[in-house]
Amino acid sequence: MFYFRGCGRWVAASFTKQQFPLARLSSDSAAPRTPHFDVIVIGGGHAGTEAATAAARCGSRTLLLTHRVDTIGQMSCNPSFGGIGKGHLMREVDALDGLCSRICDQSGVHYKVLNRRKGPAVWGLRAQIDRKLYKQNMQKEILNTPLLTVQEGAVEDLILTEPEPEHTGKCRVSGVVLVDGSTVYAESVILTTGTFLRGMIVIGLEMHPAGRLGDHPSIGLAQTLEKLGFVVGRLKTGTPPRIAKDSINFSILNKQTPDNPSVPFSFTNETVWIKPEDQLPCYLTHTNPRVDEIVLKNLHLNSHVKETTRGPRYCPSIESKVLRFPNRLHQVWLEPEGMDSDLIYPQGLSVTLPAELQEKMITCIRGLEKAKVIQPDRVLLLLPRMECNGAILAHHNLSLPGYGVQYDYLDPRQITPSLETHLVQRLFFAGQINGTTGYEEAAAQGVIAGINASLRVSRKPPFVVSRTEGYIGVLIDDLTTLGTSEPYRMFTSRVEFRLSLRPDNADIRLTLRGYKDAGCVSQQRYERACWMKSSLEEGISVLKFIEFSSSKWKNLIPEVSISTSRSLPVRALDVLKYEEVDMDSLAKAVPEPLKKYTKCRELAERLKIEATYESVLFHQLQEIKGVQQDEALQLPKDIDYLTIRDVSLSHEVREKLHFSRPQTIGAASRIPGVTPAAIINLLRFVKTTQQRQAAMNESPKTDQCLRDADRLQERQL
Amino acid sequence: TVHSPTCPHLCFLLVPALEPQFLHLQTPDPGDPVWNVRWALCTRRSSGAPAPGSGATIFALSSGQGRCGIAVIRTSGPSSGHALRILTAARDLPPARHASLRLLSDPRSGEPLDRALVLWFPGPRSFTGEDCVEFHVHGGPAVVSGVLQALGSVPGLRPAEAGEFTRRAFANGKLNLTEVEGLADLIHAETEAQRRQALRQLDGELGHLCCGWAETLTKALAHVEAYIDFGEDDNLEEGVLEQADVEVRALEVALGAHLQDARRGQRLRSGAHVVVTGPPNAGKSSLRKPVSIVSPEPGTTRDVLETPVDLAGFPVLLSDTAGLREGVGPVEQEGVRRARDRLEQADLILAMLDASDLASPSSCNFLATVVASVGAQSPSDSSQRLLLVLNKSDLLSRKGPGPRPDLPPHLLLSCLTGEGLDGLLEALRKELAAVCGDPSTGSPLLTRARHQHHLQGCLDALSHYKQSKDLALAAEALRVARGHLTQLTGGGGTEEILDIIFRDFCVGK
Repeated sequence: MFYFRGCGRWVAASFTKQQFPLARLSSDSAAPRTPHFDVIVIGGGHAGTEAATAAARCGSRTLLLTHRVDTIGQMSCNPSFGGIGKGHLMREVDALDGLCSRICDQSGVHYKVLNRRKGPAVWGLRAQIDRKLYKQNMQKEILNTPLLTVQEGAVEDLILTEPEPEHTGKCRVSGVVLVDGSTVYAESVILTTGTFLRGMIVIGLEMHPAGRLGDHPSIGLAQTLEKLGFVVGRLKTGTPPRIAKDSINFSILNKQTPDNPSVPFSFTNETVWIKPEDQLPCYLTHTNPRVDEIVLKNLHLNSHVKETTRGPRYCPSIESKVLRFPNRLHQVWLEPEGMDSDLIYPQGLSVTLPAELQEKMITCIRGLEKAKVIQPDRVLLLLPRMECNGAILAHHNLSLPGYGVQYDYLDPRQITPSLETHLVQRLFFAGQINGTTGYEEAAAQGVIAGINASLRVSRKPPFVVSRTEGYIGVLIDDLTTLGTSEPYRMFTSRVEFRLSLRPDNADIRLTLRGYKDAGCVSQQRYERACWMKSSLEEGISVLKFIEFSSSKWKNLIPEVSISTSRSLPVRALDVLKYEEVDMDSLAKAVPEPLKKYTKCRELAERLKIEATYESVLFHQLQEIKGVQQDEALQLPKDIDYLTIRDVSLSHEVREKLHFSRPQTIGAASRIPGVTPAAIINLLRFVKTTQQRQAAMNESPKTDQCLRDADRLQERQL
Repeated sequence: TVHSPTCPHLCFLLVPALEPQFLHLQTPDPGDPVWNVRWALCTRRSSGAPAPGSGATIFALSSGQGRCGIAVIRTSGPSSGHALRILTAARDLPPARHASLRLLSDPRSGEPLDRALVLWFPGPRSFTGEDCVEFHVHGGPAVVSGVLQALGSVPGLRPAEAGEFTRRAFANGKLNLTEVEGLADLIHAETEAQRRQALRQLDGELGHLCCGWAETLTKALAHVEAYIDFGEDDNLEEGVLEQADVEVRALEVALGAHLQDARRGQRLRSGAHVVVTGPPNAGKSSLRKPVSIVSPEPGTTRDVLETPVDLAGFPVLLSDTAGLREGVGPVEQEGVRRARDRLEQADLILAMLDASDLASPSSCNFLATVVASVGAQSPSDSSQRLLLVLNKSDLLSRKGPGPRPDLPPHLLLSCLTGEGLDGLLEALRKELAAVCGDPSTGSPLLTRARHQHHLQGCLDALSHYKQSKDLALAAEALRVARGHLTQLTGGGGTEEILDIIFRDFCVGK
């Protein structure tokens, strides 16, 4: 798909300044001069940018509404992207032609693949990113995306209208009301408001509402959502203080150097923008008992820690680490914030102590004895966006101490796997609003929401990634069927088909589908993925075909630790499984026909990975088929679990199904408390519905055939 | 003879020599303890163990458990024909849908197992729609277990999950809607019965062992997973992997020893559980004497006295529990607690009251709690059965009115004079016929075969763990191993692993 070369527009001012009373339920006919879009995306964070560009790539005229254009692409917390599990998500976002992977390949200052020795299925692509570059590159991309308009403005309310009768939901969203009273209409709306709903910043005992003073735009939206009946929960997270680079004694600390060569995030890039030798190092230091002492002595000054709001177990503040694992040394990574930034991000020191105690604690740590914590500027706390720290502060030559954030999230069991809400038609949620944490998790949801908001406008079936297809599928299925009580982060251990869903093959898994089913993938990328897929298939069948005795293999490749006592012939594919063998050594031994598979480095490496997992993948494929069978059994969307009498279900099961609204038998069976008997009853219901529909759709003649077939079957029975 | 593919028990009608007691087997999937409907999806929770619904070939004892003339063992799946050829040591398959007499022998030792009728049903014209084989063998436990083990040794075959035959039939469109309608009730019933059975088994030595092993494995897996997901960024303690290695090695030794020691498996006793209960001094212990007519072999399980007896051909485990009452000393309270546990696991409860003492608080309390709660269950769902017995009928005045008009149906008995004993035995026989007729209540052979299969599968997976240099593959091997154990013990999902990770390690940047 080629786009017309052209620029997105940046509308800096609001459309109208007229003030009229907010109409919750407006009529369908908008005022003639009111702007109208296919898709509106609210929020310019990691979910919002991906959602807006994905919708635009799918061909929808899209509006991105953000408080400030200059905060688009802001990295609000850590200055890094990727990692274990998260790197998988980025590859999948890239496979769907999303932005963040490509932007990271242009903006990193330290690229390193984690888990190198643990097997390619769990490699974690990761990079330290220059905040400023990332933001610049992202903004350039966003402002140059065809069909995408960017406008500054804060959303106060949703415009709601009568629901479409053929879909479930109590009403339909048809636009938004901005804080200045102006309205914008759209066919679909995506909310990616991050920690913005009733956000509170906490430092020590001080709490600051994170909206604008006087009128809090987030409150209006939060209230609307609550009035509509959305179940709201509360989560917390935190971020460490930043340290002045020149106040750290790096010479006594462990230095970590980047990979050489760098591995790019995107399938479309062969390398990254910066040479390994020009990249910046990271440093490692540790906490000590004196840090514990300061934390424990001052717990009474720390309301964030005392509160019962759930924070992430895997990204804990230093306070909770000290409380839960006393008398241990905890790791602190000192990470650069950018090429020319004079700030260092102390990963692992997320803290909400009063500002003066933060510095006292930090200077106990080795290498940080003279560290300067950048002092807070209270004015910045009143900025409209929560994420205004780090880079923007560096940009303004100001900064913040570490702080905690508490915010509302909406129980993600209220959305479908296409991220549309059950309650309001054409309203989509993506990112932290669904209870996740992390840029990558947000970006992954953003792409899916953008695609589906666009597909919804063109009345096409939703684009759902299943658990068997990608980490994105696991992420969304976990959220929509199980919900979450702590900020949800991706791990590889959440993924049951981990050996099949690898970073190397995300293109095969998703690019082809993204092109055909969603239309969000460029022609060029699609063709590349097709070529790769057929080359891999061809290469694997050739490797299966070549068979020699083990002694001949030993002669050909002396370094292989193959046992020559085996009498059966050994396939080249099996030889490639040995750690010490790669495509190069194999092609040297059997140049014809293997030589051609070593010309493309990526192809050769991917063949090696396929060989490593070949035997296990066979079994996993069978399991995947079983799961897919159950996923294929769709539950009717309009089924009212509370009242339906055709299905015999207990009251408890009814309530659970009513809340989560699973779309398939597979999803229903994963909901805790839904009994086997209930599943069978649902199964029966699905089959009856399918039969009835089939009978209704067929002509009377075929109907007769069906009845005959039934009779025939009965006779057999 | 044309096999009717609907219902497995119809095939019994094809065999003229069939014993009549088979006809009471009225479930579509006899022999399978329970259908855990989370079939293929359990791969998520207990990821690794072979997913039912995949292309594997399954086998199970399809007729009921117990003494019988003929037992029917069935297979379904693509390797059925292969298995038949291997067991009959024949190159060709018998003619389809014809009963043929064949000598079955163990493929490993070549030892003859039984002379049996075999039926070959190539798919799709079979009960499940897949290739199926039926072995009609002589019903002795040795023969049945021999054939099951022989089948288990054929590559590609594994014991069926509960209800798996039915599920396959359903998936292949072989069951119509009316039949499926009955299925949910059935599964509910099976689940209930299996819950009780699982409770009972888990009480045993093997259950304790399995739970312990599963725990070890979950912990080892959690540590490997922590090493994968957090090892590079976060500081895990030294030696996380080494510790997991040590635990896995110890587990391998234990599993190997257990698999070799078949006697332990045999200790898993079979039989219907009958529990005698009632308030103190109702005469429970005096009942044991007249009822334990055959082979009293007293053995104690903690405070509950258990006696295996043979009642009218039914294997029965008779338990005499401590009197149920509250507010006594700590020692007796423990006895009461165990009695209650045992009561929960019982198939049949003999509730005993003193006919002359019905108005006493302990009697009233017993009636209100135990008797009423069991009676409240609808008779259709394979709930517990209860016989209410009023003992000491000799103390009632001959001419006086009956005990109490509002009592549920009951039997009168005098252990002293023996009056009413015949009536009680007859009632017991009836109840037991109903209880033992339900194949899900006790099929120790099958259970043992399943245990063995999963333990062996676990052991095989652990050997893959050792061989893998790729940690993702090693973790997968542990997942498969753990999947086998969790299929035996139930439970255990990703969340459980994450919980251990976050409990044991301070992860996070």
